[in-house]
Amino acid sequence: MDLSNTDTTKTKTKAPQQITIDGQSLSFTPGETIMQVAERAGISKRIAHFCYHPSLSIAGTCRMCAVEVEKVAKLMTSCSTPATNGMVVYTNSEKVKASRNGVMEFLLANHPLDCPVCDQAGECSLQEYNYEYGPSTSRFGDSEEKRVFENATTLKLSPLITLNMNRCIHCERCVRFCAEITETHELLMVNRGHHKELTLADPSKGLTSDYQGCLADVCPVGALTFNDFRFKKRVWFLKQHPSICDGCSRGCNIEVHSEDDIVYRYTPRFNQEINKHWMCDEGRLSYHRGHDKNRIVAPYFEGHECEWHTLLADFTKSLKSSKSALVVFTTDATSEEVATLTSLLPQLHKGGPINFRYISSTPDENPNENQDENQDQLLRRKDKTPNRQGVASKLSPISEADFQSFNDLVIIFKGSTSKLPRLAFSSSKHLYLWGVFLLEDLENIRASNPNIRGVLPGVHTLEKSGSYTNCDGITQTFTAAIRPPKLCVPVERILSKILTTVTAEGEAK
Amino acid sequence: MSTGNIKTTNVSRPYTWKERLYLLTIPKGFLVTLRYFIRGFFLRKSNTISYPEERRNYSERFRGMHFISLDENKLENCTACYLCQTVCPAKCITITAEERDPKENPVGVAKEKRPKAFDIDALRCCFCGMCEEACPKDAIKMSRNYELAVHTREMAMYDLKHLSREVKNRG
Repeated sequence: MDLSNTDTTKTKTKAPQQITIDGQSLSFTPGETIMQVAERAGISKRIAHFCYHPSLSIAGTCRMCAVEVEKVAKLMTSCSTPATNGMVVYTNSEKVKASRNGVMEFLLANHPLDCPVCDQAGECSLQEYNYEYGPSTSRFGDSEEKRVFENATTLKLSPLITLNMNRCIHCERCVRFCAEITETHELLMVNRGHHKELTLADPSKGLTSDYQGCLADVCPVGALTFNDFRFKKRVWFLKQHPSICDGCSRGCNIEVHSEDDIVYRYTPRFNQEINKHWMCDEGRLSYHRGHDKNRIVAPYFEGHECEWHTLLADFTKSLKSSKSALVVFTTDATSEEVATLTSLLPQLHKGGPINFRYISSTPDENPNENQDENQDQLLRRKDKTPNRQGVASKLSPISEADFQSFNDLVIIFKGSTSKLPRLAFSSSKHLYLWGVFLLEDLENIRASNPNIRGVLPGVHTLEKSGSYTNCDGITQTFTAAIRPPKLCVPVERILSKILTTVTAEGEAK
Repeated sequence: MSTGNIKTTNVSRPYTWKERLYLLTIPKGFLVTLRYFIRGFFLRKSNTISYPEERRNYSERFRGMHFISLDENKLENCTACYLCQTVCPAKCITITAEERDPKENPVGVAKEKRPKAFDIDALRCCFCGMCEEACPKDAIKMSRNYELAVHTREMAMYDLKHLSREVKNRG
């Protein structure tokens, strides 16, 4: 180590410093560890690891990431060894493989063989590394002799998280997550060695943070599992699709896990600018709203379900015949939907310009809540709609007085599953709802205005493509993760249908 | 795919004069009939069996109607791990998992997960036995019962109740 240290001082001002990993020469900035260099180069998969997590502090507890460094007698843990100039690292030598095999053997000595029951099976680091490096048999005797934590085999740490301590490999990622990311210090390890056990700092309270789902994410094994996904599906059936969470104005990057157009969970997708590796529980559970049984999934005209062409004929007629028209967007519409409607609807409306406005989708039971600001120190925002910035940049907001002044044709466009804001109409003659609505929404609207003429069922975030601009002004695009219900169609399809009909009629005349 | 290049060759040969003389083959055929008549009528030997009074003994590893084995507490051994569903080439197994009621679970964590529904579409099943091979709990097995005939298609959809019937020594 001394040798390499002197090297560092010598070359400080000269060419960038080089490290060789598996024969691949990589430059680094002093202070980076071997693992970080490998990660930047995209070859961190070669180094097996449990306790290292790019967004958490370095612990060096698992010893799985040990690599061979030339001129060093023993193996070095790549997560905690700083890279030095001229360092030559081998990540897959016989010595390293033997070390990994040894680590795996000790980890598996007490790990229960319950992969068939365990929800992590299929995305479990322990499973993967055992397949690659581990011993296929155990020298530690029968499974009856394995360590069992009687009180923590199926312990509900909170309504969201279940702990199975028998499966824990003591990487302490969860402890570090609670200490460093949420700063709630809710979990800690007590005792040592064989008896080391994960416990709640305050068992009477349980886990209380709003980011508990991340604990199940960071856990490399099935010790901490997310109750909402528990026993729902085996992970290898799920199809992953990158998307954006529409639970609040943060716009966390997510992966949608679905099978046969049914979403089973969201997992966070790494984005250094926005959410890093995390997402909140509220957003994580927001996929349920897309599968709401009360969602209106068929065209609806004057109190009854109807065919699309009946509704569209009436809708086109109202557009043509009305003198004044108001289109109100909620702030969970995509920027594309706003652009499409603002450019194409005026072509159909003959009675003068259409007023396009927006209304914030956040329910304003408490008026102070209706401002967009951080809800906590990490990710959550008070505005529970994904695209306020994108919509507000094109349109102006609507006030109650504005609502009163329009009384002919009003179209409410709601782009996704966020809650319906309080709408204050006086007596618009024709009221159309366009987008994603629930039966409750209909009831609520009916309370202030009974003239709901039609509902045009639309598609929500997971079922369409588009873009949202988040609270920091970052515009992110996404594509459809699942197919919408049969009769729910995106805006552009409805508009093209109307426009072709209108053009055909015009030509016939 | 074009089939224009395929040639068919006629491999039949001309009959010999013996074969053309049909008179010879007629008594030959009568002799066969007579032989079987004597075997059956006088010697009482038969090539068929009187099913269902008599049954053929199939091999020990015959793969017949599926069942799910039970443990000493009469709980099904299946933990709904979905491996059989994953491996099934005919996609005839459909499982829904749930958490077992802790009160009815004397075994603890090993049986905390159970199948809420376990359906096998026997009409689609090809009896390859891969489910049996994949099962880590020796839960799904194939009995030696080969009487699979049913009156309706619905009856060929084996549900959990039917599958967890008691089968001793694989039937």
